[in-house]
Amino acid sequence: MDLFLQRVFDAITNGSTYALIAVAMVLIFKATTLINFAQGEQAILGAFAVLQLWYWGIPMWGAVIIGMLFSAVLAAGLERVFIRKFDPADHLPLVIITLGLFLVINAIAAIVWRFDPQSFPQLFPSGNAFTYNNVRLTWYSIFAFGSCVLVLVVFQTLLTKTKIGLAFRAVSSNLESSRLSGIKIGPTLQFGWALAAAAGTLGASIYAANPVLQIEPSMMLRALIFSVTAAALGGLDSLWGALIGGLTIGFVQSVVVQYIPFIPNEMSLSAAVVVLLIVLTLRPSGVLGTKAVERV
Amino acid sequence: MLQKLYSSRFTPERNYQIAKWTFFVIALLLIAFAYVDVGTISIGSNNYNLSLIRLNKAIAYTIAILGLQVVIGYTGQIALGQSFFFGTGAYISAWLIADHSWPFLLTLLIVIPSCFLIGMILGLPALRIRGLYLALLTFGLAAVFPSIVKLDKLYGYTGGAGGKLTSNYKFIAPSWLPFDEVAQALQKIPLLGDFFGDGPLSTREESRLWKFILFSLLAGLCFWLVHNLIRSRPGRAMRAIRDNETSAAVSGVNLALTKTLSFGVASALGGVGGAIYVAEIGIASPDDFSSLVAIYLIVGLVVGGVGTLPGAVIGGLIYALVPDWASSTQSVSFVPERWLQGPTGSLILGVLLIVLTLFLPGGIVMGWRKFKNKLLRKELSTAR
Repeated sequence: MDLFLQRVFDAITNGSTYALIAVAMVLIFKATTLINFAQGEQAILGAFAVLQLWYWGIPMWGAVIIGMLFSAVLAAGLERVFIRKFDPADHLPLVIITLGLFLVINAIAAIVWRFDPQSFPQLFPSGNAFTYNNVRLTWYSIFAFGSCVLVLVVFQTLLTKTKIGLAFRAVSSNLESSRLSGIKIGPTLQFGWALAAAAGTLGASIYAANPVLQIEPSMMLRALIFSVTAAALGGLDSLWGALIGGLTIGFVQSVVVQYIPFIPNEMSLSAAVVVLLIVLTLRPSGVLGTKAVERV
Repeated sequence: MLQKLYSSRFTPERNYQIAKWTFFVIALLLIAFAYVDVGTISIGSNNYNLSLIRLNKAIAYTIAILGLQVVIGYTGQIALGQSFFFGTGAYISAWLIADHSWPFLLTLLIVIPSCFLIGMILGLPALRIRGLYLALLTFGLAAVFPSIVKLDKLYGYTGGAGGKLTSNYKFIAPSWLPFDEVAQALQKIPLLGDFFGDGPLSTREESRLWKFILFSLLAGLCFWLVHNLIRSRPGRAMRAIRDNETSAAVSGVNLALTKTLSFGVASALGGVGGAIYVAEIGIASPDDFSSLVAIYLIVGLVVGGVGTLPGAVIGGLIYALVPDWASSTQSVSFVPERWLQGPTGSLILGVLLIVLTLFLPGGIVMGWRKFKNKLLRKELSTAR
């Protein structure tokens, strides 16, 4: 029982960080029906920027906020230069561009900060919030989950209460009609990219601040698969679905896989891909996503 | 009647094709003999490896990229997971060679059908999933391949994290091939003879040369088959699906069958590429088939030219040479050393991918065709 409870807590911890990256994917998918394969790398670049700022003596949370701003500006620039000129309905060039960004950003991060793992400063109070027999719930888990919910609430408010949020929702619901009603499509999508990159950077910073992990350029590759699965599971265009998907994937990784004897521990990545396969085949719109209606 | 047959067989177009291919084969053989022992060429203070080992790797990648041409270039399905099948073919071949002492060519008889079947089965979800969702799923497949072969349960077949050695199998050139005579004849050419080394070939050189010729023949066979496939009925069906799925279905194309077929063909080609890769480097190790390989193969596809057969060759060469040459570049003026020590190859490939997609969407091959037609003042035929 103790072990089970501990695993559930682990699931919540991992799930929240996956959910944060998944939120970033969902934002971009909502706006452009594009899956940004470079999302994880943009996030890790942001996290490295945070680390660098911290080395330069800026307090940790200040560094995180500046890092988020930096990656938001960078993402807005990337959208303007590389993404906007392509037809959103033609997926292949967009996938290729994001794969190219993936390679370039990954290489730059590795050249500037090297491959050696570095320890990331603590973002949250260390120690345990709650101890029961051998079960420990760390403050880190609570804060990771809390910041995920906070980000979702902020985004939800931003999208429903502000003018640019309204424009964003209009664009994601119908691009042509919103163009006709005078919404500037380009800047609105750019806003979506910036928001997504900021969320991603926060997610990667929290992920790297996990006491048991160290930051290195390739750490996001695994997380990318988990987050993509989380986003697809929750429905690629649903914000709260990302949280549900993230927690489910965390649960599958930390609880379900542990209790199935014939799946070895290191197969959790494969388990995520199997979940992805099942979701996409049986219910492509995910748990909370909008069903696509196609007329032939 | 005879007149008609004659004229249809020897049109100027056809003569041009025959001359072109003869020239190509002779050039290939000359390169093979010239680089069989010379390992490197040096530019500035850097040495660049151009041995047959590199070229053999390039052939392996070329065949895998040819598979991508079928599924992405001609059928329009965004399947990113070619490294999965590349690895599957490599491991099946390695297992048969190492544990059952099969000769290399015989393993292809198992590799091709099994990769074809696996590809068709994994392609089944593609009937429901499209576009980005398919890209996601296939990328996931590529990401899990290394952890599948590292499974403890499969240790007996795959050798776990350490990989599977196949070096017990040696490629021995058949004795009827006049390698020595050709090499010595080439050495006697005035002025150019120096490029072809000295004296008779050693056994290692002969085996390397034999591998290169064998793999080139295999690649040529694959190209011929794919070329014919694209121009046959199923190939036309594939292109119809790429251009407009709905109208293809309306015109009576069997979507399910054609898509699965193209997945199967692509996977089988990936498997052949993998088998060649393992035969060349002598070991199948999990990290040679990571998701980065899948992305690099996409780079090869795009840089060569999506939907063009010669593009696969250019792509294979770029994949085999660029990362390797980038890492052997030790010093370039005006570039800080730090930028040469990291994953510079990956950076260059990424930049190539972005720049070509932005400015030359048809890749190098389409760019060349446009350039040639401009020179010849011909209208560019849009059919590819």
